[in-house]
Amino acid sequence: MKDIREDIAWAKINRDVLVSLENPRKLYWVIVFGALSLFSVGLGCEIYQYQVGMGVANLNNPNVWGLYIATFIFWIGMSHSGTLLSAILHLMHADWRKPIYRFAEAMTTFSLMTAGLFVMVHIGRLWQFYYALPYPNDRGTWPNFQSPLLWDAMAIFTYLSSSVLFLYVGMIPDLAICRDNLHKGWRKKLYTLLALGWEGTDRQWRNFRVTYLTIACFLIPLAVSVHSIVASDFAMSQQPGWHVTSFPPYFVAGALYSGCAAIITLFIILRYVFRFEDYMTKSILKKTVRLTFAIAMVWTYLNAVEFAAVWYGHDMDAKAVLIQKATGPFAPFWWGMVFCGSVVPLMLAFKRFQTNIPVLFAVSLLLNLGMWLERWMIVAPTFSHGYYPWVWDNDQWPSLIQWGMVMGSFGWFTLLFMVFCKVFPSVSMYEVKEMVYHRSLHLKKNETAGQGAH
Amino acid sequence: MSVSNLLENWSQFRHFHPVDDKPHDPYKWAMSIDIDACSGCNACSVACYAENNIPVVGKERFQHGQQMHWMRIERYWPDHDFDFPEQGAEFLPMMCQQCEAAPCETVCPVGATNHTADGLNSQIYNRCIGSRYCSANCPFKVRYFNWYDYPTDETVWPAEMNRQLNPDVSVRGKGVMEKCTFCVQRLRAAEVTAKGEGRIVREGEVQTACQQACPTSAISFGNLVDPESRVHKQWQAQQVEMNVDEQEKDKEPGGSHLRGYRILEELRPYPSVMYLERVRESAI
Amino acid sequence: MSKRHLLAMFSSFDEAELVVQELRNTSIKGFDVNDDLVVKSPIEHPEVEEFLGEKPVYVQWFTLFGALMGGLLGFFLISGAQANFFEQLKGGKPIVPFPPNFVLTYEMFILGGVYISVLGFLICAGLPAKRSPLYSSSVSEDKIAILVKSEAGATSTLRAIFTKHQALEIQEEAGK
Repeated sequence: MKDIREDIAWAKINRDVLVSLENPRKLYWVIVFGALSLFSVGLGCEIYQYQVGMGVANLNNPNVWGLYIATFIFWIGMSHSGTLLSAILHLMHADWRKPIYRFAEAMTTFSLMTAGLFVMVHIGRLWQFYYALPYPNDRGTWPNFQSPLLWDAMAIFTYLSSSVLFLYVGMIPDLAICRDNLHKGWRKKLYTLLALGWEGTDRQWRNFRVTYLTIACFLIPLAVSVHSIVASDFAMSQQPGWHVTSFPPYFVAGALYSGCAAIITLFIILRYVFRFEDYMTKSILKKTVRLTFAIAMVWTYLNAVEFAAVWYGHDMDAKAVLIQKATGPFAPFWWGMVFCGSVVPLMLAFKRFQTNIPVLFAVSLLLNLGMWLERWMIVAPTFSHGYYPWVWDNDQWPSLIQWGMVMGSFGWFTLLFMVFCKVFPSVSMYEVKEMVYHRSLHLKKNETAGQGAH
Repeated sequence: MSVSNLLENWSQFRHFHPVDDKPHDPYKWAMSIDIDACSGCNACSVACYAENNIPVVGKERFQHGQQMHWMRIERYWPDHDFDFPEQGAEFLPMMCQQCEAAPCETVCPVGATNHTADGLNSQIYNRCIGSRYCSANCPFKVRYFNWYDYPTDETVWPAEMNRQLNPDVSVRGKGVMEKCTFCVQRLRAAEVTAKGEGRIVREGEVQTACQQACPTSAISFGNLVDPESRVHKQWQAQQVEMNVDEQEKDKEPGGSHLRGYRILEELRPYPSVMYLERVRESAI
Repeated sequence: MSKRHLLAMFSSFDEAELVVQELRNTSIKGFDVNDDLVVKSPIEHPEVEEFLGEKPVYVQWFTLFGALMGGLLGFFLISGAQANFFEQLKGGKPIVPFPPNFVLTYEMFILGGVYISVLGFLICAGLPAKRSPLYSSSVSEDKIAILVKSEAGATSTLRAIFTKHQALEIQEEAGK
């Protein structure tokens, strides 16, 4: 089984990808419509909450953070695998990433945008959001740079803008292809503008290569730092169940895990919707699946380390939180997390499932369900069983407003993603050509070597 | 120029609080609460509601846990060593502990909660954006969030009740965090009067609303650095030190016979409220 | 005297390489192989760089400058802001605390590095560029193009070289 056919003509690559900009399957419109309706639900919930107050989310003291923060971490986490595919695998010269990294990178950008929304809907006074920005003003006030939330804002801003730049720079040669091949209209104007007059000259390519590599080198430590900082929101606090040293690596592993699972889901959807069977091949899917399996096991290990550290650590409050997670009102969700996050991925170890698309689709959704539950189980139980006995067993079930906004965020993400894939080439044309070119060269070399042996 | 400012006053900027070489001067507001004297009557809580314009949220929101009692009376039914269960619960009045190294302060993204020069943990309502991180990181869970816009809510604050509001205290709109301030409006008024007369606030000159309302005088409040104040004398008699995570007296084998203790001291927030342990068994 | 452009399309890199070598070895009056030759290719092609000879790339200096300035600016802006806003005292912490400032400095280091690298890329690659006078959209498909610029007298020699190496198509700029 080959990652890609070497005899695929370059002109056909252009044609096949460009057709995705104009003519997807009907399912595309069904997905867009579904996403739009989900997003409207979330938008309605936010308008209601904005008008009436945060109370409609059914939060209280001590349960001041609800699904918003849990889902925020979920989306931040999902963004990480785009960087994994585009930057880490780029540095490792794993060229099978080439047909799939573009949409993974887009996923990074849009899941960060979705995560940003949760910061907004979470805060009590959205209209004063700008207080958290460090801007000079005549009152001489500044935000509190000591707060992990501010590090979060800074890290997410850096990550989002760097990812957008990385995505854009990597797309310039493809935008030039779009510019050269599409009919007149607003799209042609858009591509002409964005392609910046790219013509593939030697000077352009030379600088392009160095720049792309440089940004890739920056993105890797950046991605690690972003989720470490999100973990610091918890690890830097004093609460039992949060104040855990191993949180940053654990969060990073969880982030890569949920991101890889999401890549499998989107891979399968795009492959069908845009007829990318020649480029998003089963062989590449298999490699992604194996990567996901490896990360799943890393995550499982770090999870076990965290529990073991708490269990043997003689921090009685943290231990009480852990016991409450496993036996208290959150038990079904906590065990659901263990099942979806650590048991379900074992299926990926079997060769027969590694290319079975319906199975993989279901498994990848389950994995992400598990990872969402994980984030919820990090946030919620500590509130209902913290240090202070007065707040114990104060369970608060999130209201429909919260659930509506969680659903809405999936709609928002899907909408942005699907629009992107329709407007911009979601398979990198020039890099697929490179992949085909290098593989055919390799093949030719082997053939001549074989002939020489005769 | 900020960089030159930074370099010139470097040691000052690296100085941190609380430390012994730069104590609070002339004020450090602190409290001590004698749990033995507390009868759980809730008068302190009611006085607090009246003094600080706290919204009474109503039955339904109370059931959702969205009540705003800055001063709350907690009830505990210990399940062991309890000889008279028919006499009911033990009581613990709980409010913001005005920690010297408050966990809530460092995490606020906009710096809406800070440490003041007179040793309070301040809350700036119009700076707060409502991220609720302070409450998440508060070990005592004594911060209360305005889940609804109470000032405009007729069921919470009927129009005719507006004349009942305390004009010295702002009314908080939706989306901001609030908590016990040690009746900062009274403290500021007393400090300003005293300053005008060229002296510091004398013992007994200023009282918090809860202290004033307490029928058994369980609450004493005052300036901890003033050797004449009752609070100072109590803290000293109980050998409770501010800047430690374990009191010297508790390090002795067998512990101490003294009643003074601070809640969750080992987390190192350095709370400014000392509790005096209950000695009698019965509730009344 | 004005120069004129000539564009030739080739179907493979090997042919383009032969052409460049021949252009290099023949001295043509009014045509300088280092300045007047541009190779356009649909993919990033390391061999192109090899047969064109070493040409320097300066993007990494932008990166270095951007990253260092980002980090320095980050640290001093943040510490300076804290120092000018000392009402914001946090109990148990100094006014200018190091660990959080280092976290933010790290982020600013990366932010500066990435932004200035992209700026450097645009500057070094000459983007956004005016479109060159001769262009064929088949470059963005699968052909490799050689664009040369020469005095009017050299055009025929160049054209001959291109034809010899089986150029698929030769475009010439209309005379003025």
